[in-house]
Amino acid sequence: MRIALIGNPSVGKSLIFNQLTGLGVEVSNYPGTTVELQRGNTCFQREIIEIVDLPGVYSLEGNSEEEDLVRRFLEQEDVDAVVVVASATRLERNLYLLLQVAEYGLPMVVVLNMVDEAAKQGLDIDPGPLHDLLGVEVILTAASKGLNIDRIIPAALAASRPAKVEIPYDHHIEAAIRSLGKMFGVDRKESLRALQGFGENPELLEAARTIADEIESRHRMTVAQIIAANRHNFARRLAELTVREQHPPPGADPDSILTRFIPGMPILIAVLVGMLLSVFVVGSFLEEMIVEFFEVYAVQPFLALGLHPLLEELGVSVLIALQAGLGIALPYVFLFYVIISILEDSGYMTRAAFLADNVMHRLGMHGGAVIPLTLAFGCNVPAIMSIRLLRSRRERIIASFLVTMVPCSARTVIIAGIVAGFVGLAAAFSVYAIVFILIILTGLILSRVMPGERFGMIMEMVPLRRPEPRLVMKKAWSRLSEFLFIAMPLLLLGSVVLGLLEFFGIMTVFEGIVEPYTMGLLGLPGYSATALIFGILRKEMAFETLAILAGTADLGAVLSSLQLYVFAVVTVLFVPCLATVTVLLREVGSRITLAVTVYTVTLGLLIGGFIHHLFS
Amino acid sequence: MLPSTVEDYLEAILEITEKSGRPATLEEIAAALKTGKETASSTIAALVEEGYLERMGGDAVRLTEKGAALASKTARKHTVLLCFLTEMLGVDTDSASREACTLEHGISDDTIERLSTYMGGDLPLPGRTRRRRGRETVTLLDCNEGDTARVALMRGQGGGHRRLLDLGIFPGEIVEVRRKLPNNSVVVRVKGCDIAISPEIAGSIFVESCP
Repeated sequence: MRIALIGNPSVGKSLIFNQLTGLGVEVSNYPGTTVELQRGNTCFQREIIEIVDLPGVYSLEGNSEEEDLVRRFLEQEDVDAVVVVASATRLERNLYLLLQVAEYGLPMVVVLNMVDEAAKQGLDIDPGPLHDLLGVEVILTAASKGLNIDRIIPAALAASRPAKVEIPYDHHIEAAIRSLGKMFGVDRKESLRALQGFGENPELLEAARTIADEIESRHRMTVAQIIAANRHNFARRLAELTVREQHPPPGADPDSILTRFIPGMPILIAVLVGMLLSVFVVGSFLEEMIVEFFEVYAVQPFLALGLHPLLEELGVSVLIALQAGLGIALPYVFLFYVIISILEDSGYMTRAAFLADNVMHRLGMHGGAVIPLTLAFGCNVPAIMSIRLLRSRRERIIASFLVTMVPCSARTVIIAGIVAGFVGLAAAFSVYAIVFILIILTGLILSRVMPGERFGMIMEMVPLRRPEPRLVMKKAWSRLSEFLFIAMPLLLLGSVVLGLLEFFGIMTVFEGIVEPYTMGLLGLPGYSATALIFGILRKEMAFETLAILAGTADLGAVLSSLQLYVFAVVTVLFVPCLATVTVLLREVGSRITLAVTVYTVTLGLLIGGFIHHLFS
Repeated sequence: MLPSTVEDYLEAILEITEKSGRPATLEEIAAALKTGKETASSTIAALVEEGYLERMGGDAVRLTEKGAALASKTARKHTVLLCFLTEMLGVDTDSASREACTLEHGISDDTIERLSTYMGGDLPLPGRTRRRRGRETVTLLDCNEGDTARVALMRGQGGGHRRLLDLGIFPGEIVEVRRKLPNNSVVVRVKGCDIAISPEIAGSIFVESCP
């Protein structure tokens, strides 16, 4: 038994999914796509029921990856019932998707969620007419209060009929559906899709194109526009029967503050800066605690065992890796994701994207790019994953360059640990300034030279609401575990390899070879090159490695301020870490990944060399 | 030569050769197309030149592979339209057939017009309104915060962006401009939802008028 949840973005679908399923939710990429699909199980009357949470979409006929996935899922997967989740507060627009799903002829249950919010807005919802017209069960729910959620599974199990509703299309479209049906034996849904240019059969598509041209020459609208208008108008009629506005909604509108240029822009900047500051302050406090804890309760007792030197070296390497991994992952990454999840769930993220649209445009992307770029401050890995938000390849390529240059939390550790710690706070901020200027310059140049069409932003401003703490934590936790899953094995491996190389004296040989070059170009001792190379595994390892190789945690005693500063700048700009390279490969392909890597290495060495020669 | 003329000749020749099983003569072609022999002769010469036809001795011609492909495509188009019109008008096949034939020219002319406009890089729709309405076109960018306007036309690839249609912005719909930033990014309210739109997309949405 398999049930699929389908609905518009931000209708409370995830919340319902989380309430229906217990633990053991599996997040996977749908075959051949980069879109995530959540699957979970629940038990009802001794039967195991699989519940699939499909990504939020506005339509089944768009060309985004999500829409394509949902469409393929409904066509190919064996689904016993679909649960269409619609928001009672924006019913008309939600019914548009529902009507498209109904055309797939699968057994269906309709969930009108957020009835509590609708009541607050003075909307009176009557499920009766919708139930009569569609002939399927209609459940009113309030997921944030858990109201009626328990009725969904029994209703889905009992659902045996598809919705019986049929959208009355324009008479030209209806004639086209009949013609294609007679000529090719295709059903209503396939005919409609063929008229809009979707389908596999070339003969059907050619015939549909001929008819579509004919229809378009008689209307002032394209076939897609006519079909969309028919569906929207029918949805409006259904919505009018279902929703009655009792009294006008209250006047307060937070968007009158948030999306106006003033004070919207200062608020946006304050939010971004506040986010970074709180991550740094709380994060470094927690990091110190965790590192200290490890030092006292793991590293010291282990050293006290007095094992064979090789074993001791290996053990310490593993412990240091765990210490670094947990010290970074828990405080910085987790905290960061909590904040990002709050911004996302509250709906502020879309306001930020709207305000940033113009700035992002200059950098060759649309406003949505503010999301990957902000995420990148936490970790480049999820940021690169989120460049799928951008629709054109051109934007995705520009974003992949810029995102990998953004100082992530690991690089912040280097800036904070090396520059702020040993050189000074002003110097630390100047590293940020250098990086930001380079990012802006790169964006300006790329937006000029990159070929390809520019796409603009079309984005729904999701309603502002209070984020659900449980959902925020769950989201943050799942992203954290994804991070640990990618980073931890690499970190362990890298640390052990470093330990072994060090133990057998290979590092010393390597350092001897590169010393003249690093000295000449950057004014840095040979072992700093080793640290840089290990920084590729995980950025903050450059810092740890430098401390280990220098033989002291008090770096200021062995290296000059300029050397530390140059080291930090080079590390921050140098190659993206291995985990970032892995996701880059998946998102933009090997050629762009190579270009990004070469660009960042060159930039790092050039800027580092420039600073060294300017100030020495 | 107009694409529609090419299609008409090739389709006629296909019909003749299929019926008789031998190359079509000038006389047959001219009769099928109800045109003078001289006109037909020069058109056929041009079609031979373009590689659609090959001469088979005397004044007889046969379709080349390229010509046959285009002829059968035209014939298919013809059948599809015939069927579509039958369904649409609910008339018997005979009168629908006549309708389809005149119609084919109708489309072709329109296709040419559209083709030429497309090739000129400009899309036909806004131009058409300008003619029809006889006044300056207005886009969402010309509206101010708080204005309500009815969408008239949307330009862009395939009649505007698909996402706009799915979010409820289509010709005939009434939208309210909720916010307009100094850089011309706008937020419109449609169907109770706020949609943020970049300046260049807002500029492709034509509205009837802004109050």
